Amino acid sequence: MTQISWLIALIPAFPLAGFLLNVFLVRGERANGTVASLSIVAAFITTVIAVINLAGMAAESRYIAITLWDWLAVGRVTVSFGLWFDPLTAVMALLITGVGALIHIYSITYMHGDSRPGRYFAYMNLFVFAMLILVMSDNLFLLFLGWEGVGLCSFLLIGHWFDRKHVAPGIVPSEAAAKAFVANRVGDAGLLLAMMAIVSHFGTLSFFGSDGLSGFVSKLTDASFTTISLGAFGSVGLVSGIAFLMILGVVGKSAQLPLFVWLPDAMAGPTPVSALIHAATMVTAGVYLIVRTHAVFDLAPDASGWVVIIGATTALIGATAAVTQFDIKRVLAYSTISQLGFMIAAAGMGAYTAAIFHLLTHGLFKALLFLGSGAIIHGMHDIQDMRRMGGLRKHMPVIFLVYIVGALALSGIFPLAGFWSKDEIITHAWYNAQNINVTVILLLSSLLTAFYMGRQVALTFAGEVRDKDAHPHEDLGSMKWPLYILAVASVLGGLINLPGVHWLNDWLNPVLHQEAELFTLSMGIFAAVTVLLATGAGYLGYRLYSGDIGARIKPGDEDPAHYYLGDIWKGFEMGWGLDYVYQRIFVKPYRTLSTFLHEIFDQQAIDGILVEGSAGMVGRFSQAVARIQNGNVRTYALVFLIGVVVLVGYVVIGA
Amino acid sequence: MNQLGIPLLSLLIATPLLGALLVLLTPRQATGMQRGIAGLVSIINLVLAVVVRASLAPTAGYQMVEQQTWLPTMGLHYAVGVDGISVWLVVLASLMTPLAIFAARQKNDGNQRAFYALLLVLASSLIGAFVATDLLLFYVFFELTLIPTALLIALYGVGERRAAATKFFVYPFVGSVFLLVSIAGLVYVNWQQTGVMTFDSVALSAAIANGTLKIDENLERLLFAGFFIAFAIKTPIWPFHTWMPQAQAATPDDGSVDIAGILVKIGAYGFIRFAIPFFPHASAWAAPAVAILAVISIIYSGIIAFGQRDMKVLLSYATISHLGFVMLGVFSQTAEGMSGAILTMINSGITTGALFLIVGILARQPGGRIADNFSGAWLSAPRFGSLALVAVFASIGVPGLNGFIGEFLSLQGAWVSTHIGFTFIVFAVLGIIVSAAYLLRMYRTVFMGEVSVTSAVPEASNSELLVLGLLVVAMLVIGLYPQLILGSMQPSIAALVQSLTQGATQP
Repeated sequence: MTQISWLIALIPAFPLAGFLLNVFLVRGERANGTVASLSIVAAFITTVIAVINLAGMAAESRYIAITLWDWLAVGRVTVSFGLWFDPLTAVMALLITGVGALIHIYSITYMHGDSRPGRYFAYMNLFVFAMLILVMSDNLFLLFLGWEGVGLCSFLLIGHWFDRKHVAPGIVPSEAAAKAFVANRVGDAGLLLAMMAIVSHFGTLSFFGSDGLSGFVSKLTDASFTTISLGAFGSVGLVSGIAFLMILGVVGKSAQLPLFVWLPDAMAGPTPVSALIHAATMVTAGVYLIVRTHAVFDLAPDASGWVVIIGATTALIGATAAVTQFDIKRVLAYSTISQLGFMIAAAGMGAYTAAIFHLLTHGLFKALLFLGSGAIIHGMHDIQDMRRMGGLRKHMPVIFLVYIVGALALSGIFPLAGFWSKDEIITHAWYNAQNINVTVILLLSSLLTAFYMGRQVALTFAGEVRDKDAHPHEDLGSMKWPLYILAVASVLGGLINLPGVHWLNDWLNPVLHQEAELFTLSMGIFAAVTVLLATGAGYLGYRLYSGDIGARIKPGDEDPAHYYLGDIWKGFEMGWGLDYVYQRIFVKPYRTLSTFLHEIFDQQAIDGILVEGSAGMVGRFSQAVARIQNGNVRTYALVFLIGVVVLVGYVVIGA
Repeated sequence: MNQLGIPLLSLLIATPLLGALLVLLTPRQATGMQRGIAGLVSIINLVLAVVVRASLAPTAGYQMVEQQTWLPTMGLHYAVGVDGISVWLVVLASLMTPLAIFAARQKNDGNQRAFYALLLVLASSLIGAFVATDLLLFYVFFELTLIPTALLIALYGVGERRAAATKFFVYPFVGSVFLLVSIAGLVYVNWQQTGVMTFDSVALSAAIANGTLKIDENLERLLFAGFFIAFAIKTPIWPFHTWMPQAQAATPDDGSVDIAGILVKIGAYGFIRFAIPFFPHASAWAAPAVAILAVISIIYSGIIAFGQRDMKVLLSYATISHLGFVMLGVFSQTAEGMSGAILTMINSGITTGALFLIVGILARQPGGRIADNFSGAWLSAPRFGSLALVAVFASIGVPGLNGFIGEFLSLQGAWVSTHIGFTFIVFAVLGIIVSAAYLLRMYRTVFMGEVSVTSAVPEASNSELLVLGLLVVAMLVIGLYPQLILGSMQPSIAALVQSLTQGATQP
């Protein structure tokens, strides 16, 4: 075991230690926050050292593997508790620990005065640990531990204020937490099946094996013609089947159609949680999974096609829903769903680098926006409704500044981070995938993105405060530095993969084997046009909601745009009504079914007719046979007698 | 027998019986003394079980075998032994008794003597069933487990306890009559073919594996059916399960009898140990049908559990749901599946035991066992709530905790099994969704939400927290290092799978 292997084992060990310390030893809000933040900062520094070491290695063998212990060795299931650190893991770990550290530091001020700071920081540490395990695992089994571990932490943190009846905008925290977990579990079931299919056909769950060549990824090509019979439903290619099952996991974790309904409700958690878990890291796990197992999707074009459709549709649904929201965090939540759609669509088109690029920049500016909105909520004393805001530019100048940076970055305005990464995806759809439908949908979503950010900035910062009882103030404390750093990162983030420079592309090349695209003039023009359109859309959103429409907005009222679009607007607002439909076709019938099965089927049919009925029949029959005996003994004797007669008869006649 | 010549296994069976006698000799009013004796004896037994486990060599086949001739002409022996499969169940059975005694609430009505004595008799009969290698001896212990449990329900239960106790006793008892008939049939066929009258399960399964005993196909299925009915009722598996929720609704609120009785559901063990090795063709033939019943068990019970307000009934259906995974693993007849099934049984003991303990602690409140009567308990009882949370997630099957490993292996085994296949698993996997739904519903109703003055649950006592904490540690250890249990089981499992393939290929 080399020193560097132990170094990478230290990365998840720090947050785990922070978790344990906060659970068992450390008491007091100040100490909780400090221990938690320090553990993530330490993990970040360790990650940086590990990355530097990694960069010093030869490109073709640029990975570090370490097996901590043998987890399972039963039959053909052999799984080790093994970590894997390669360029892809490196960028994910940097994002998780980097943004994670900032959000932890931010939380020290944000969670000041909370009734359970110890738990909050412990869960946050545990989350970072689980997320690191997810991206650092060398096999799917351990990845699944991280995968469900982050889901568990998400449950805990959404339910952090479990004792409140409801939090804005009318969400019950405990209900939202359970909803998130169960929706995720639907996806997890798919991933679990994928794992079992892989074990059955490849005999290993390791991605690459300890030598980088003996994992299931290297065995996929041999199986590209294997098919599985589905009986009456025809047959499906093995690799396609695995890919489809994985997609189920992806749509659950990354909040894609049709399972995205949990994410808007997940905003019931404290805002830093939304920033870290429901924007920057956990929800991107699906994108990571596709990119990590891209060999599967490369061999399954049919499945990849569906990935694109799901991603693009979700991008549009999320964007349209974000346009209509009034809750400041819900706008960002739907925006996250939409942006994740971009990443998923990119991954489906095979633009893995672009997907990771957008994942990274989005992690930065969406964290910034969430932390910014958290600072606004903090300064507005827990008001989240944008109808009650307005005019905050005067009261919160610093937040305004950083928020504008985040909004511009998300809108894809040149030269901020979002521009480069989103442009890469749309350009890929147009030039490489040459899919006009996807290009148009993504472009439209991207314009809507600029529009709703313009709307949000106008509603929040322009004009005068609409709620006369609110007392907005700006008191940032330890929240200041994370905002500044993320703002700078949101401006400069694009640098990591500029056209023509493509550092990220080169860095990921040993894993993804994707050469950087040649940048052409026509791509430049294409990008210029999209930027112009986005700027226009953003300006339109700002102009409308700071001017005409904005003037007609009153706390508690509908959006004036509602009068022009009517039920369509309403539909957008409800996230296309998916939640409503699920309530009607799953949740309520499920309850009814449960009662029916229990009271009618179980108690009356099975127990009443089958069990008691046959007992009664035997009882009556045995009465006729043997009147002298009674009770259970006679039943016993009778059954025994019949059995012996049948058996002896059979043996005698048969023999 | 081990090196020192101490008959450890017989000691394991005899100690609780002696303890029961001692308890019965105490003065009626001395509840504290009865409880003390029972607790001490059960802990001694646990230590003995751990010694058995520790001195077991990692090889296949029975060890520490003790044999006493009983009725030589009839081929009856008192024969006991353990191997890697049964030893963990012995340990678990010995663990459940002190836990049950711990959970039992002290009443000073001078009426507790029989209670503790019966718990110890139950422990003895369970251990006996797990170590018996002679078929008739197994049958005796198998039946014997019913009597103390039924009496515990009838004497100390709540609600319609007599009706529940009667059903608890009669239904499985009728089922096991078929078992007795089939045992007789098997022994008879063996005697007819080989001229040897024996109830020795080792000899019988060896004879079947190596082909000296050949059973006609139809007869094999008939004999298998007898074993199946008995074990399917006892497991229980849908649609033979209805006795269980009814019985558990009638057990004392404190959960003690439920904990002690977790292993009464030894049907799955019977399948692994006897039914499948004796009738390899028939069990391969029946596997798809059993898998359908198992899948129905998983989903059907999970859906029903969702609607339960009485937490004990909810846990009862949850157990049936888990046992569906066990049955899939057992009938996969693969190393993965059978290991997963045994592990799931052990997990079910630890996790469900912890959950029953939790419900028992909650039931001390005016809210009783009804989930809806509680709210926000996590706030008023933070440690208790956190430990309960871990137990809930272990039961849901979150990786890192014990439940996941067992379920995964059971499903994986069934997937690769030539008898079952992946179609069943696609449906069975829905179980992981329904389990999240019903357990989180229970957890969030009881532990989350607003605290009202009437429903505030006080923090559990230190000793309760300690016991729950130890169980949680066990969940973590098994989840992160399952080889601790699975590793020592592998030689026995491998030998079993080997003999099954051998037996199945015999014409």
